[in-house]
Amino acid sequence: MYSRSFTVAVLWGSSMNDTGIVFDNVSKFYGDVLGVNRVSLTIPAGITSLVGPNGSGKTTLMNLLTGLIKPSRGTVNILGISTNEPEKLFRIAGYCTQFDSFPKGLTGFQFVYSFLRLFGMTHAEAEKRSWSAIERVGLVEAAKRKIAGYSKGMRQRIRLAQSISHDPKVLILDEPLNGLDPLVRAETIALFRSLAAEGRYVIVSSHILHEVDMISDQVILLANGYVVAEGQIKSVREEMREHPMQVLIRCNKPALLASRVFETDHVVEARIHSDGGGVLVKTRDADSFYRLLNHIALNGVDIESVAPADDNVNSLYEYLIGSEEVTR
Amino acid sequence: MTGATQFEWGLWARQIGAIMRLEMKKTFFAKRGLWIYILAAAPALLFFAYTLAQKNRAEHAADLASIKAEQTEAIQIKMTADDVREILGRPYARFKYMDPDLPRSRRRDPDAMIEVLMYSDGKANYEYRFRQGQLYNVNVRTQRLLTDDNTVFATIFQLFYLRLAIFFGCVGVFMNLFRGEMIDKSLHFYLLAPIRREVLLIGKYCAGLLATVVIFGMSTAFQLWSVYGSLTAAQSTEFWSRSGASTLSAYMGVTVLACVGYGAVFLVAGLIWRNPIIPAATLLVWEGANIFLPATLKRISIIHYLQSLCPIPASPSGTIEGPLRLLVSITEPTAAPIAIAGLLTVTVAVLVLGAWQARRLEINYSTE
Repeated sequence: MYSRSFTVAVLWGSSMNDTGIVFDNVSKFYGDVLGVNRVSLTIPAGITSLVGPNGSGKTTLMNLLTGLIKPSRGTVNILGISTNEPEKLFRIAGYCTQFDSFPKGLTGFQFVYSFLRLFGMTHAEAEKRSWSAIERVGLVEAAKRKIAGYSKGMRQRIRLAQSISHDPKVLILDEPLNGLDPLVRAETIALFRSLAAEGRYVIVSSHILHEVDMISDQVILLANGYVVAEGQIKSVREEMREHPMQVLIRCNKPALLASRVFETDHVVEARIHSDGGGVLVKTRDADSFYRLLNHIALNGVDIESVAPADDNVNSLYEYLIGSEEVTR
Repeated sequence: MTGATQFEWGLWARQIGAIMRLEMKKTFFAKRGLWIYILAAAPALLFFAYTLAQKNRAEHAADLASIKAEQTEAIQIKMTADDVREILGRPYARFKYMDPDLPRSRRRDPDAMIEVLMYSDGKANYEYRFRQGQLYNVNVRTQRLLTDDNTVFATIFQLFYLRLAIFFGCVGVFMNLFRGEMIDKSLHFYLLAPIRREVLLIGKYCAGLLATVVIFGMSTAFQLWSVYGSLTAAQSTEFWSRSGASTLSAYMGVTVLACVGYGAVFLVAGLIWRNPIIPAATLLVWEGANIFLPATLKRISIIHYLQSLCPIPASPSGTIEGPLRLLVSITEPTAAPIAIAGLLTVTVAVLVLGAWQARRLEINYSTE
């Protein structure tokens, strides 16, 4: 007999099979404008990051993944479920979009609760799950306030609460860390990790490489609607080692620091910054360089800050798309 | 029926309930929907004012009553004003005006003016007109006739209320259900839930229907109460003994069916067209031109079925003058069961088209 009390198993449904998330030769065009082209991917469980600059096709790929837009060509399946079947798909998938708009007049709690009632849940079940999700994103105190009065970070968190509220097997998050303060950012990343550790699929889009480093098990790099690289972060990074990493170190003795680092093999360039307050180092081995830097810091150089100078998506793209162009 | 199907029905019902609860705020309490209430309230206030005016006139006539109806039988054409005064006594009003049938040069002649004596028996006003001192015209104005009220109500209900108030009210409510959310960029909220798009469409339709039926149904009820609730005891007896209950229920039913039909059309129009003004204007013109259309084309409209169901015909041709009157096409109303079935068939067909469109719906806010 049908029970109105939903369990995770019921929510995830019986039609689900663990074939991963499969894009089969998917293209999407908005009229004459290319969204994504000829994407064939299989995304395994764990945290996968979609990385690319604005306009590269990340959101298009996520919207295709959730059936919010239909592919012009090809098919998308999530654990064996077609994206043309939202009634099945969203029992196993949650999507935290970038759309910063909400149904009018709702409080944070009502936003999550109403969403769960759309699943057909009872009042009690929806209420229980709403509070649980809101608690996970640390928004309990503000839950009874209208969303219209929320800060950007709070709006981001309530969207996140909505997307995880039904305990989905697949979680799709479009720039989920945007607008979050450092503490909440760390908590959110920990949440993603814990979800991935439970065997779920967590797909995160980001244009901040640093974030991707912290979060992902694997990455998909996009540029101009094409997938330019995909795989585990380690392998992608290894590819990146062809290009020396640039690090800007602010310190009190830049000349001394430059001479010390230049003694090592992996440092290919050390240049005093134009303002005289730091050194720009290019190294082929970031790990060894950071170890060296610790050693230098303990031996008389007062280091104010260390910041990767090309650890951003633009630099990555300069390298990757450059090599992509060469291979074509 | 299989167990699985039963499960689906139950689930869909709960989902539709959830959608309706969410839409309730938007359909009933949205600031931008205030004009819909004004549209619904306008005829209600009009009829209320009409009733008050009628009551006031009746009370005034009662105050002025100075004769008995039988006395007027003694009045003959060509009597003088003094003869009439002798029989009926002093009039409650007396005045003169220039005879418009005379040439201009003679109009100012005091002897050529028309004299009017006015009397009341409490139920009717009697106007006696004298030209050159002789009675030539008697005008009896009954205070209030049930047939007049019926015609006034039928005309305003069919020509204004159905064609404009409910029509535009449905434009305001139903077109916003999808199009409004695309413009607000909040439609994805629904599309991220495990709901069949068809269920979403029906849920939104039911929400819009509930709102319009409550708003316009209340207005119709108030209008009916204003007109028929203030009848004199005799008129009331006449009304209820003839067809009172069926008249009232027919008007209420037509109101509901108007919301059903127009609602479906505008809900789906909001799904298909980015600019809702174009389909609304097109339908308005089509429905407005209905009286000129041949019988076959008349049937491809909502207003034809609605007017067929109205208990008292309001002839729009009566309001059309000049050469256009020649173009008016008079068609027998469709029988009530066929009219209802026809309207519901059109509604279902439109909703099926809407479901197909909803299934193909994509979120692309940047183009809205």
